[in-house]
Amino acid sequence: MGESSEDIDQMFSTLLGEMDLLTQSLGVDTLPPPDPNPPRAEFNYSVGFKDLNESLNALEDQDLDALMADLVADISEAEQRTIQAQKESLQNQHHSASLQASNFSGAASLGYGTNVAATGISQYEDDLPPPPADPVLDLPLPPPPPEPLSQEEEEAQAKADKIKLALEKLKEAKVKKLVIKVHMNDNSTKSLMVDERQLARDVLDNLFEKTHCDCNVDWCLYEIYPELQIERFFEDHENVVEVLSDWTRDTENKILFLEKEEKYAVFKNPQNFYLDNRGKKESKETNEKMNAKNKESLLEESFCGTSIIVPELEGALYLKEDGKKSWKRRYFLLRASGIYYVPKGKTKTSRDLACFIQFENVNIYYGTQHKMKYKAPTDYCFVLKHPQIQKESQYIKYLCCDDARTLNQWVMGIRIAKYGKTLYDNYQRAVAKAGLASRWTDLGTVNAAAPAQPSTGPKTGTTQPNGQIPQATHSVSAVLQEAQRHAETSKDKKPALRNHHDPAVPRAPHAPKSSLPPPPPVRRSSDTSGSPATPPKAKGTGGGGFPAPPDDFLPPPPPPPPLDDPELPPPPPDFMEPPPDFVPPPPPSYAGTAGSELPPPPPPPAPAPAPDSARPSPAVAKRPPVPPKRQENPGHPGGAGGGEQDFMSDLMKALQKKRGNVS
Amino acid sequence: MAGMKTASGDYIDSSWELRVFVGEEDPEAESVTLRVTGESHIGGVLLKIVEQINRKQDWSDHAIWWEQKRQWLLQTHWTLDKYGILADARLFFGPQHRPVVLRLPNRRALRLRASFSQPLFQAVAAICRLLSIRHPEELSLLRAPEKKEKKKKEKEPEEELYDLSKVVLAGGVAPALFRGMPAHFSDSAQTEACYHMLSRPQPPPDPLLLQRLPRPSSLSDKTQLHSRWLDSSRCLMQQGIKAGDILWLRFKYYSFFDLDPKTDPVRLTQLYEQARWDLLLEEIDCTEEEMMVFAALQYHINKLSQSGEVGEPAGTDPGLDDLDAALSNLEVKLEGSAPTDVLDSLTTIPELKDHLRIFRIPRRPRKLTLKGYRQHWVVFKETTLSYYKSQDEAPGDPIQQLNLKGCEVVPDVNVSGQKFCIKLLVPSPEGMSEIYLRCQDEQQYARWMAGCRLASKGRTMADSSYTSEVQAILAFLSLQRTGGGGPGNHPQGPDASAEGLNPYGLVAPRFQRKFKAKQLIPRILEAQNVAQLSLAEAQLRFIQAWQSLPDFGISYVMVRFKGSRKDEILGIANNRLIRIDLAVGDVVKTWRFSNMRQWNVNWDIRQVAIEFDEHINVAFSCVSASCRIVHEYIGGYIFLSTRERARGEELDEDLFLQLTGGHEAF
Repeated sequence: MGESSEDIDQMFSTLLGEMDLLTQSLGVDTLPPPDPNPPRAEFNYSVGFKDLNESLNALEDQDLDALMADLVADISEAEQRTIQAQKESLQNQHHSASLQASNFSGAASLGYGTNVAATGISQYEDDLPPPPADPVLDLPLPPPPPEPLSQEEEEAQAKADKIKLALEKLKEAKVKKLVIKVHMNDNSTKSLMVDERQLARDVLDNLFEKTHCDCNVDWCLYEIYPELQIERFFEDHENVVEVLSDWTRDTENKILFLEKEEKYAVFKNPQNFYLDNRGKKESKETNEKMNAKNKESLLEESFCGTSIIVPELEGALYLKEDGKKSWKRRYFLLRASGIYYVPKGKTKTSRDLACFIQFENVNIYYGTQHKMKYKAPTDYCFVLKHPQIQKESQYIKYLCCDDARTLNQWVMGIRIAKYGKTLYDNYQRAVAKAGLASRWTDLGTVNAAAPAQPSTGPKTGTTQPNGQIPQATHSVSAVLQEAQRHAETSKDKKPALRNHHDPAVPRAPHAPKSSLPPPPPVRRSSDTSGSPATPPKAKGTGGGGFPAPPDDFLPPPPPPPPLDDPELPPPPPDFMEPPPDFVPPPPPSYAGTAGSELPPPPPPPAPAPAPDSARPSPAVAKRPPVPPKRQENPGHPGGAGGGEQDFMSDLMKALQKKRGNVS
Repeated sequence: MAGMKTASGDYIDSSWELRVFVGEEDPEAESVTLRVTGESHIGGVLLKIVEQINRKQDWSDHAIWWEQKRQWLLQTHWTLDKYGILADARLFFGPQHRPVVLRLPNRRALRLRASFSQPLFQAVAAICRLLSIRHPEELSLLRAPEKKEKKKKEKEPEEELYDLSKVVLAGGVAPALFRGMPAHFSDSAQTEACYHMLSRPQPPPDPLLLQRLPRPSSLSDKTQLHSRWLDSSRCLMQQGIKAGDILWLRFKYYSFFDLDPKTDPVRLTQLYEQARWDLLLEEIDCTEEEMMVFAALQYHINKLSQSGEVGEPAGTDPGLDDLDAALSNLEVKLEGSAPTDVLDSLTTIPELKDHLRIFRIPRRPRKLTLKGYRQHWVVFKETTLSYYKSQDEAPGDPIQQLNLKGCEVVPDVNVSGQKFCIKLLVPSPEGMSEIYLRCQDEQQYARWMAGCRLASKGRTMADSSYTSEVQAILAFLSLQRTGGGGPGNHPQGPDASAEGLNPYGLVAPRFQRKFKAKQLIPRILEAQNVAQLSLAEAQLRFIQAWQSLPDFGISYVMVRFKGSRKDEILGIANNRLIRIDLAVGDVVKTWRFSNMRQWNVNWDIRQVAIEFDEHINVAFSCVSASCRIVHEYIGGYIFLSTRERARGEELDEDLFLQLTGGHEAF
């Protein structure tokens, strides 16, 4: 750990030479290992890499640029300085330019921030298709406990690690990031950085950590279009940056973080959606009587077959006529292929139905207060529109139901038809998450969680959900209960924490950071202890931000992944302190563009890295730099052999992925 | 022992003469007469028969059928007395396996030898093993419908009859694969062809034939089919089937377990075929939009199967892209020199630049501006389309720039009119912009269309699927030129053209009446982009879409509920029973199997009584089919639902027969 903190300096100074050496000694084959995984990401990455091989100077430039971007975003000023120094020693004309560029972009994002807003920081984005969360895949590999290595091996390892780190940075740096302002349900807001690889699930996970909410499955990101008076929740698998990029610059749209029980209602009470057609009296009876086992089998039947079953749904709805304020009552039917209606004078047999809309290009939104705004017959409205449409338009379809129950059935039915099994997967992941969270808090106080959690935490990417599903389904109710309990306790805790924080650090910047260490007890202590520390060094090691430190601190790195953070008392104090220290430095760059309004610019960036490390996929990418070291070690020393293995595992992954797609 | 005589020739034991016919139930057949006693064992009788016939032949498959009792005498250690056989018994000594002609789900006829002595359940399992279809419990046999007399004989085309009757399958182990097919198919060219028939989708039927085939016009018509199911617990012989009869093999239970495209080519194909015929013959209804998707998939599947591309086309899905990328990466690594031009070719995204005529519909129209198409210089790069007044202005600002990601792409093509337009509905914050691109010829159209299609999904022309997409579009255009050019209401026969395909063979006949071929083709073309799917994927997609239909998997039976005065329809699905109004077709009530406590059949009054939770009792008598069929359907679905937990390939036959049988006692 101590070693790694100092590493940074060394690493950069020696990076060039080491890479050179390594490539020569191990052959070209060894270099690829880090990138093998995802085609695209790897592709970008490898582009940079090859340049390096061919012209070391070029590579270095890129690398440094990337690092700078990263650092500006994530690292305290102190770190920057050291790195800069490093760079200078390496003699790079580029970096200053890049630094500026990145600063600028950072500032820009903040500038937009005024309204909840989101702005893209487009560093390097031109050359890169976003590397999808793939990096995660590599990292989690099996962290075999480092075996005793010979000195040479160690050296080789170290080199490989450093290269890998550098490459990770490269990858990272090219990722588009947005700073978003999220409205909490207590009317406060939080800013956080979202990179373009992050899914709504990842962002939720970040928010869970920042807020210490109960993490139950009802929490969702919620977008609101004040202008159109429509709103909807993000599906967990949606790419947040992609959705936000449809917003216009001057938009009033907002993102909320709140609980909506409608989000996964179908999985909690499938009978309300699947067994509810006609005969309302009876259905109500059965609703209450459905037991857990029947629910489970109903879900299995509906979502686990060769194809999913879309709830049978039909009935009269009001449709707003194009461009008019009148509403027409029509008989609509939901099918897997779209919404249909019964044309005048026809029957509702399949052959007579007319297609109203198909779901491929539209999202579904709840309409709020459309009774007022559009003279809708009731306030139970839903809206279908292309996600890119932001203003009133004839291409937006407004529908109105008789009651809330019908509305919920339609919205859920449409989501099932549109998203299919993904919805169920999302739910199971959310349940796993909720279960994990509650378990984790239980353990958190005891500090015993370390070994078990790491495995689930870091891997997230694709493996986690699968792995956990069985557990999750079996113990859903238990987990939920637990979560419930947890919610209560956490609620109690929350206010206390808030109070505590506010006095000490009035601004948001700190909050996110402090929230990182999830176990409240720890945090509190750290908060109070707040004696000025010498953070730069400790932090510096992180490079990516928070994630790294834990690893550094913990000599037995293999087991302790992200979740461990809480366990590690040391980091929190450091983090807490730094703010005062490092806040001032960055401002210069930001201040110019961002204006007075945004004194806390640096903070927002900081949170982002933390979430990353915290768990889900993209995050992992960042912190990996450190873990990779250990993992690589065993394989790498072998040189070519190691490289090949790596490649094989990538192939395997690709194959698995493919198979997954097919099935 | 039997047949001891005195010197005078009188029998002194209790022996008597037993006459046994040799052959398959043919009274004219040769017969042998044996001397037996009541204590003779069946095995001994068999031995005597063979001795008497005195012919060298493999008799191992032969057994005795007792005609009056409609029963096989298979227990060789039983005595005649135990069976109750007396001298007047009409016994036939014949083979247990006899040839039948199976009409497969793909409507092809196949001759094979089926067991006439085992319960149908086992016989079907053996057939499925021969055909290498897993999960035989999902299939069963039906009697062929009786032919109507009026059919003109000369019109019956001689159809190809595949023959597997000589193939013998070694018992026990699953057949090994040899040359890509189960080993027993690779014996001869004939059996190989048979395997191809089984494992590859058939070309679309002749539209004329399609129109001629009977289609159900009402729910009660749909009940007819289900009256013909054979009884799973009895053997073919007992059900009056004779050697050489035609039987239909169909998936009976719509609960397809563990459908795996990799291991199940025959099963997948036959299931696809059954689904396809269900749709074409309107056994199951779908909407127009859905039918177009089905048609597009059929077209694509047919194309792949004709071209022999049974394997996965390269670079079709993201997973393969990954693999390709990984491999190309490896190559680059191995070469060591990391040639930049390779990278360049990988990184540079191809673009399209050309003069196209563009027609833009203003967002706030209704001004009656009929400016029509105008020539522009259009550049299509990545997913963005920009157009300029002229080529010279290209470096400057375009008149308009459209990001096609998420847009809707609609072909507007008339081949005979040489009109090749692409209609784009491009979303923007304000709504959709409607814009038409008019291309000069097919080639240009195909390139731009393919680009637009990919762009709408957020992919660029660098995507590996671009070329195949272009090809698919060209192929479809040529289809339109040849197949659809004919007079609208006279669908051409299958021989219309080799590459041109008659779209009428892809849709249910009602669409033949509704659309002209040239209207139909573009709709099929635009229905869905399926060009990238492999054969198995496309079949699976087809099956999934079929399963997603609301009426999927419902078997209809006409019943009369206790206390009701009119006939109603009972729909039986894999998870529920549905009471349907016969006249209107509305669902009256649904009961789920998960709530079912028990069901009973009163065989005497042909009534099925079912008890659900909360003391809900339902009873009905069966009108269109025997109550045995309803009983077997319910029991069968219950049986199939137990598979999930067991997770094995072996079948619990006893359980199946227990759930579906039980009526022999009466």
